[in-house]
Amino acid sequence: MKSQIKTVVSLTVICAVVAVLLAVTNYITAPIIKKNEAAQVNGALSVVLPSGEGFEAVDISKYELPETITEVYSEKNGGYVFKMLTSGYGSDFVLMCGIDANGAVVGATCISSNETLGAEKEYGKTLVGATGETIDGVATVSGATRTTDAYKNAVRDALNAKIILGGGSVDLRDETQILADNLNAALPAGEGKFTPVFITEILEGVQEVYKAENGAGYVLKSGENFIATAADGTVVSDVADDVKTAMSDNAKKLISSKLTQIDISGYADMPTQIEEAYKTDSGNYVFHLKAAGFGINGDAWYNPSGEYIKIKVSATKDGKIIACETVSQKETDGIGSACADKKFYSQFNGKEQTNYKEIDAISGATVTTNGYKTAISKVFDAINILKGVS
Amino acid sequence: MNKNSNLSILLKGLLLENPVFVLILGTCPTLATSTTVIGAIGMGLAATAVLICSNVVISLLRNVIPSSARIPCYIVIIAGFVTIVQMFIHAYLPALYDMLGVYLALITVNCIILGRAEMFAGKNTVGKSALDGVGMGLGFTLALLMMATVREVFGAGSFAGIEIPFISNYKIEILTKAPGGFMVYGMMIALVYKLTHGKAPKKSEFSCADCPSAAFCGKTSCTAEKGEEK
Repeated sequence: MKSQIKTVVSLTVICAVVAVLLAVTNYITAPIIKKNEAAQVNGALSVVLPSGEGFEAVDISKYELPETITEVYSEKNGGYVFKMLTSGYGSDFVLMCGIDANGAVVGATCISSNETLGAEKEYGKTLVGATGETIDGVATVSGATRTTDAYKNAVRDALNAKIILGGGSVDLRDETQILADNLNAALPAGEGKFTPVFITEILEGVQEVYKAENGAGYVLKSGENFIATAADGTVVSDVADDVKTAMSDNAKKLISSKLTQIDISGYADMPTQIEEAYKTDSGNYVFHLKAAGFGINGDAWYNPSGEYIKIKVSATKDGKIIACETVSQKETDGIGSACADKKFYSQFNGKEQTNYKEIDAISGATVTTNGYKTAISKVFDAINILKGVS
Repeated sequence: MNKNSNLSILLKGLLLENPVFVLILGTCPTLATSTTVIGAIGMGLAATAVLICSNVVISLLRNVIPSSARIPCYIVIIAGFVTIVQMFIHAYLPALYDMLGVYLALITVNCIILGRAEMFAGKNTVGKSALDGVGMGLGFTLALLMMATVREVFGAGSFAGIEIPFISNYKIEILTKAPGGFMVYGMMIALVYKLTHGKAPKKSEFSCADCPSAAFCGKTSCTAEKGEEK
């Protein structure tokens, strides 16, 4: 018992003494470390904005800036330097970006990062000269899409922040938010809950259809316009009469579209990619496909998932794709997984056997893109088989 | 030379009982921080500072620290000194701080320091422990410096960051990578063995008195059969 008390006491005393020593050391060194870091930041300031003079920190709590912006410095000539914290493939990384008075990127550099490929070290150079209008056109780095995308988005945030600091206003909503706001504005009765409808009929002038989850009706996206209908397809939005008639026809056509499953086991040469086939009353086809992407054909070294990409495609009997959608996928996260993005699969909408290959491939994911295209090509074969043409 | 004279305590760490090449302790930081000469010297001196301080303090406290709790006590003391050294380097040598990265904090678990605390400082006087710290620390620094010289000169074609003409056109890049580190390490061990003509203490000659595992090992010497009477 006595020795146990001695053990506890001696260990406690040693810990306490060490803690005091550490506190003293920290008291001495902390201000110096802080000063060094400030000097390092100042050095970085003149790297990303060489023409800048008299940098001053801006109190950003007064402004509603994008969340990635952590620090802002202004300078005499009207330029700004932004420090951003964003997350890429590996973990958080810190960037700095200088923007001149005209709103163009003068320099961008990565302060600290832990990314796997190191693409962020050099990527800042490609963004020099970009403005709010041109930044979307700057290419990302193949194979390091997630890192460079995050980089680009952070710099876009800085460009937006520059406008806000200058007294302007910027739409900071992302695409999902904009869509949700548009849908809600078109059909308030939907109470903000909408799901996309898979289009199985040719709808004139309509690109996307959303259904209110509470059954209040539908919203049709036609160009930039969002047109709401009631549950029976009658247009309720305030639009010109001819548009009203056309959209009402579209909505009713889609609502009344009925699918009948086709037994494909009877077709010996049906491609293996076709898992299920349906026919609509109007003679269109809907196919459920499986595509062998990276998950199946990937290099074993990279541990492919072993899962097919599941795709849903609707097409006319003449072989024109009406709509295409990725249902599920287990491709490499951050690379091939882009096949689940609407930006990718909606490229097949309106394509035919002659031009379905003319789409933008997924950067860095050739195996995924090729597998996807091969599966799509089988849609045209399947239509011919079902029609009895070989 | 008397085995326990102060001079021999100081010098044994440099070659005969070099912690890296003979005792094979501290292998991880040796491989990781011996790619550049500057980094090697910085790492070696930082570890030396910690080693001297921790040896002195542990020797001072050797009669106070209860043997059952000695390892946690040693670790607290060592970690304290490492953190202090780390803070000072961060404040006054930020470039070195960035270069050593996580390995600076990892001095805490460097086997050399805990090993010397356990094998020497816990049993010897303050003066001798300080000399042992200096000797072992300089031995570690010397070992790192030798490895770093070979690796930087032939692997990166430079010395302490200064490019060497001609050699820089014929870099052997593998030397700067982990496999090259192992190769150089192995060759250095062979070289040191050759230089000492096998006079370095062999496994069988380590006395059980210095061995932390003696209590549960149960042998009289490393070459003896288990169960022999002590």
